[in-house]
Amino acid sequence: MVPVPDNPTDIRILRHRIEKIDMLPTISGVVRRLTKVIGNPKTSLHEISSFISSDPALTSRILKMVNSAVFGFPGRISSVTHALTLLGLDAVRSLLMGVTVLELMQTVMVGLREHSVGCAVAARSIAEIKGLKNLEEVSVAGLLHDIGKVIFLLEFPKDYRTVMEEAEQKEILVMEAEKARFSETHAAAGQWLAEKLFFPGKLTDMIAFHHKPGLARSAPLETAIVHLADILVRALGFGYAGDAFVPAVSPVAFELLDLKERDIREVLKSIENVRASGEDLFW
Amino acid sequence: MCVLNSDQLEPGMILAGPILMKNGMVLFGKGTELTEAYIERIRSMTLNGISIVERAPLYESREQLLEKLEARFRPVGQQPYMKMLKRLVEERILECDEQEKKEDSRGKSE
Repeated sequence: MVPVPDNPTDIRILRHRIEKIDMLPTISGVVRRLTKVIGNPKTSLHEISSFISSDPALTSRILKMVNSAVFGFPGRISSVTHALTLLGLDAVRSLLMGVTVLELMQTVMVGLREHSVGCAVAARSIAEIKGLKNLEEVSVAGLLHDIGKVIFLLEFPKDYRTVMEEAEQKEILVMEAEKARFSETHAAAGQWLAEKLFFPGKLTDMIAFHHKPGLARSAPLETAIVHLADILVRALGFGYAGDAFVPAVSPVAFELLDLKERDIREVLKSIENVRASGEDLFW
Repeated sequence: MCVLNSDQLEPGMILAGPILMKNGMVLFGKGTELTEAYIERIRSMTLNGISIVERAPLYESREQLLEKLEARFRPVGQQPYMKMLKRLVEERILECDEQEKKEDSRGKSE
């Protein structure tokens, strides 16, 4: 066994805890219930369906989400079985994590949930423009892309506050301050969790590389989509992701997407629509 | 500035200082404008002694919106494609502002 270092803020400890998952005290309570279902790639459609249906609060959260602008089936999905048929097993598996994490988000950073929902809507809008078939995949990735921040905030609240203050003082991105303090970013922490929970490879790519879309191997286009969605949501000032300013877009990703100005206008409008409706944010 | 209990809060009020959670995380930053949902969250945690500066106007002025946009793009404005994105976002913000004004004046005349 590899010796585990004592310094609690050491990133190796966090990685070890994520990989054990039971050692993440706050997240584990939530995830423990889910792990059995979503952490097992062999779970059947029927098992997932009865798992969700056995919990009324979870059922209502899932149905509200799939009927919201994030998934674009306004009011058309009335049962969990129907949602599973339309969205597919993989999407619902990660969506279970999505709705649960969204709830945690607002307790750790005000605005992170709005940021994530905005990003999901924007990503979906871009994917639609690009003619992608599986829109649910990028929607879920939008919801979950900052899951690493939730882990950092829950595990190292004091250190993360220092990270945020440092970022503000030095006028650098929180991500860069994370790297300086923890030697890894929230994107890496998100990747470990995604791998631990056997998320689909494409989703893991989108979470792991949303700040460095050039490194995505199994989903370069989808990762570029989430990368740009993240930036557009921040550009509009919708929600809060911890930064005072917008990160620069990766030119390679931007060129890969090859969007016209009118496309970008459309995406911005889709984000504004969520802001205007407000209903999807506080359920 | 005045200090209020959580049951005296109203939407549109602006915080004079941050609300911190036990672990030191900022729950709501200084200058946060309270909404119904935020107030509900604060009440669920029964916080007292919250300092409020003043009530905010219902909408931020166009100047405030543009000033904030400027601040968000300041460090990255010269990076590739960021000028274009900023211009498109600015157009969107102005368009929304126009729409809200129209709706406001329609509401008043009725």
